Amino acid sequence: MKQNKQFNVTVRVWRQAGPGEPGKMVSYKVGDISPDMSFLEMLDVLNDDLLKKGEEPIAVESDCREGICGCCGLVINGDVHGPDEHSTVCQLHMRRFKDGDVITVEPWRSKSFPAIKDLVVDRSALDRIMQAGGFVSVNAGAAPDANSVPVDRDRAEAAMDAAACIGCGACVAACPNGAAMLFTGAKISQLALLPQGAPERAARALNMVEAMDREGFGNCTNEYECEAVCPKEIKVSNIARMNREFLLANLFSKR
Amino acid sequence: MDTTFLKKLITTSLGRKSLMAVTGLLLGAFMLIHLGENLLLLKGETAYNGWVEFLLSNPVTPLLEFGLLLLFVVHITAGVWVRVEDFLNSPRGYEARRWQGGRTIGSATMLYTAAAILVYLLYHMLTFRFVDHSMGFYQMVTGAFRSPVFTSIYVAGSAALALHLSHGMQSAFQTLGLNHPKYTPLIKAGGWLVALAMLGFALISLYFLFNMDLKAAEAGFQVIIIR
Repeated sequence: MKQNKQFNVTVRVWRQAGPGEPGKMVSYKVGDISPDMSFLEMLDVLNDDLLKKGEEPIAVESDCREGICGCCGLVINGDVHGPDEHSTVCQLHMRRFKDGDVITVEPWRSKSFPAIKDLVVDRSALDRIMQAGGFVSVNAGAAPDANSVPVDRDRAEAAMDAAACIGCGACVAACPNGAAMLFTGAKISQLALLPQGAPERAARALNMVEAMDREGFGNCTNEYECEAVCPKEIKVSNIARMNREFLLANLFSKR
Repeated sequence: MDTTFLKKLITTSLGRKSLMAVTGLLLGAFMLIHLGENLLLLKGETAYNGWVEFLLSNPVTPLLEFGLLLLFVVHITAGVWVRVEDFLNSPRGYEARRWQGGRTIGSATMLYTAAAILVYLLYHMLTFRFVDHSMGFYQMVTGAFRSPVFTSIYVAGSAALALHLSHGMQSAFQTLGLNHPKYTPLIKAGGWLVALAMLGFALISLYFLFNMDLKAAEAGFQVIIIR
């Protein structure tokens, strides 16, 4: 055990009573933290303290706490998803901090992610982009034989890499323009790369891009901040694929 | 006749971005041709004026000039539109915010270099295009370059252009969906080369500012880059 002593930190958290309410940063001291605690467990300890004192606990979203659900998402000391590279907040441990640290904790801030309460924002804009075309319409029936639709290995791998997106919205939070192009690019790519997605390819690209615009996300200026923070290491080549899919669909398809 | 697909080039985010990218690439190509023309200044008065006379006597030139104006108008309009939207949508109110290494100086300053280039372009038009050309084009251009004030503005403009293109060239390819593991590194390197070439404009003006052409002639040299 390199560091087993318990320590204390000060957490500066964004508190906001509800949608449209004014919010502000509030400081709390959190004591007796184990370096083995996760960052979210530290917030659990703080919330226990607040409940004992009869104060309103801090609203914070999390679910699987193993980095695969995309539920958690905080900006910690200015870093989207915290200081660890390509990781979610739930995978961050208190051993990354030291005694006496002041830790700033903020929600994703984007016009398209309206605030709900404290650190929780409404990311349903991403769901609506999916509803516009992030699916394959097939007649459900018996599962086809595994080898009846051959898929090139490299394409399958590229589709899987795109499908790794957990929809956490870190790309939006990190983008200087509040764009959701890495998310939409990944969701268009995961189907565009596979034969199963081919029949609806053109409609998908057009509809999802237009849904993304309707939600008021910003325009990509290719600064690649999204790729730098993505916990699932989604590559900006997926944005290029989206651009390609959209332009080909718009200019050369019959739609 | 269904023109929805043309409207979508204007009404969608990716349509506007692709218009900006295509016009940007064409303007970049024009700048390289322009640099080639400026290199004729090094060869001398006869060569430079000869080329300008050829351009002015060519009936296609006004059409090309109009096309160039159109490229600028579309590029600037699409650019301003995209950036105004981005400004309205950009995340605001972070107490602390750290960039994570994706941005470059070129990418973060696109809007500022764009504004600088526009000012530089207007100045360039006012000093070279909409003036009396009776003294001869070579004399007009080299005379301007010998002025420290003019050349300072010219050098600053070229630097802004180089910075703009350092991000813009490769960014345009990405926007048009031209990203490939084999070619993207080459495109990025090529973008930098075009950007650095823009400093050639500055070097040519400095060459005349320091009267190196006169000194070379005095010493009996001829510039041997272009014979």
